[in-house]
Amino acid sequence: MTTTRDTYIQQLIVLLEDFTQDWDHEFEGRMNAETRLLGDLGFESIDIIQLVVAIEEDISKKKVPFDKLLMKDGRYVDDLTIGGIADFLIAFV
Amino acid sequence: MTTKTLFIGMDGCTFTVLNEMTRDLPGEGVTMPFLAGLMAKGSRANLRSTPNPLTPPAWTSIMTGRGPGQHGVFDFIRAEDKGGEVYWTLYDSRDVDSEMIWSIASRQGKSIAALNFPLTAPPPKDVNGSIVPGFIPAKHLRRNSTPGLFERLKEAIPGFDAKELAWDFDNEKQALEVLNDNDMEQWVRYHLPREEQWFNIAEYILQNDAPDLMAVMFDGTDKIQHQAWQFVDPNLVPAERSEFYNRMRGVCREYFANVDRYIEKLVTMAGPECQVFFASDHGFTATVEVLRINSFLEDLGYLKWAVNDGSEQALRREASDFANLDWSQTTAYCRTPSSNGIHIRQSTKPGEPGIDPKDYIPFRDKLIADLKTLKNDDGEPVIVDVLKREEWFPGQHMERACDLTLVLRDNGFVSIRNIKPAVVKRPNPAGTHHPDGIFMAYGKGIAANGLVDRLDIRDVCPTLLYSLGLPVPSDFEGKAAEPFFTENWLAEHPVKIGRATVGGGEKAKSEDMDDEEKRQIIEQLQMLGYME
Repeated sequence: MTTTRDTYIQQLIVLLEDFTQDWDHEFEGRMNAETRLLGDLGFESIDIIQLVVAIEEDISKKKVPFDKLLMKDGRYVDDLTIGGIADFLIAFV
Repeated sequence: MTTKTLFIGMDGCTFTVLNEMTRDLPGEGVTMPFLAGLMAKGSRANLRSTPNPLTPPAWTSIMTGRGPGQHGVFDFIRAEDKGGEVYWTLYDSRDVDSEMIWSIASRQGKSIAALNFPLTAPPPKDVNGSIVPGFIPAKHLRRNSTPGLFERLKEAIPGFDAKELAWDFDNEKQALEVLNDNDMEQWVRYHLPREEQWFNIAEYILQNDAPDLMAVMFDGTDKIQHQAWQFVDPNLVPAERSEFYNRMRGVCREYFANVDRYIEKLVTMAGPECQVFFASDHGFTATVEVLRINSFLEDLGYLKWAVNDGSEQALRREASDFANLDWSQTTAYCRTPSSNGIHIRQSTKPGEPGIDPKDYIPFRDKLIADLKTLKNDDGEPVIVDVLKREEWFPGQHMERACDLTLVLRDNGFVSIRNIKPAVVKRPNPAGTHHPDGIFMAYGKGIAANGLVDRLDIRDVCPTLLYSLGLPVPSDFEGKAAEPFFTENWLAEHPVKIGRATVGGGEKAKSEDMDDEEKRQIIEQLQMLGYME
């Protein structure tokens, strides 16, 4: 049975494959729940801003409080995984 | 389809330079001969920019026919004072709270193309035509262009290169830095292929789509003038020209000669039935001194700096272009150099730092008086005018404007560095924005009136709509530039005032609901080191 989490992960992978298709990153293979935005896909700050807009336009179809994903215990997280974003969307969309 | 209206934007373009480039100079000849011919056969005016003559608010006024108080765009970044912290976000097209010309023309059956204009990303969905936004990094240009357009351009245009075309944050930061000779020359050269890329796209779209309104903006003018003003200002020509001066002057002229070639090609392709307009968002001039405004406000007792513990993070924060202050002890401060303004902090509840709102007017009057006392070493007043926001930014977004906007004697932008003294002379004059840009017209129905009285930046949008044969929306603040047109043309095509624009003011109504969104973007910037 496909869970909501799986659905979000698939949607995020489709979005991210399009998002990064002409980037120079060295990532090879299939993206999955463990794929990291900074560590694997070479994201920078401006890319995160653009991705938030893309998620809100393509997936959530509304504004989402991404601060709750990006901050943990008053500190900014070092990286994000696709699975982590999916979990966040389950909780806040 | 035939293009009715060709609009060529030239960021920061000024007649101070254009007049030189279009006349025969000893040893140089005419750098822009085609434009010289157009100017001789057309009409032109100085164009008064927005009260703070800056790219985002000014181009947004050009695209909406309204001032910043109405359209809501004031700066590159947007800040919210939250009584303890200031939150920052980047402005984008979703922040523009007045209908843009691209939508106004599209919903009345016209097709458009808008190339390299700021505040057009993400592209509005209700547009009939092509948008490739300006000020967007190469990695995000495809998704921020009209769907399918990027791929089409990539396939059709030989040499198409998004990296060469697009905004590069690391490179653009150099615009306001002090560069060595070699870097300065490279900076100017960097813009030559960039502009060629935008021209290639414009040529392709004009050739293949011939939209009713064809608009392209060249922004190298602004960038080059920031760094190389001393090589293009006729008032700063040295008595003896050094080899470096001649080389820099040469590469600047090469840029303007290229732009002349682009103009010639586009105007010729558009044909004799087309009306052609040129406008800049602001002009340019020389700034000769630096005003460290927050340092001066500290002297006056209005602000305290944040404690700098000497850590790498603190030093980086201090050197950034965002004010780094002790918010508990600050009542008036400047957030960013580009704002050229001062925010007054008002306490919204007991115990919150800031002045009591009932003291606002006397506090502000005293602050204005204090600001006007500042003199440079030669005894000249540094701040020549202080603009109150309700007088200069009326509209639904007035409260986003700085409480006070400063006009400096040399039109310079302030520094917000924590350095003394508050005013110093620059070692060399540098380029800065002048409130008067350019507005020019040429073509069928355009009079050969030469220079006419100064027009307002909000007049550009209604003039372009009029040229397209469309009515001017009743809620515009600007009006069609009738002095540009022949009497016959005006008699046969009277200016019509039509229905109000659509969709404006919606963001002002929903402002309170967006706090979460604002915070999240700020935190993203912070997380990845854009901001501390």
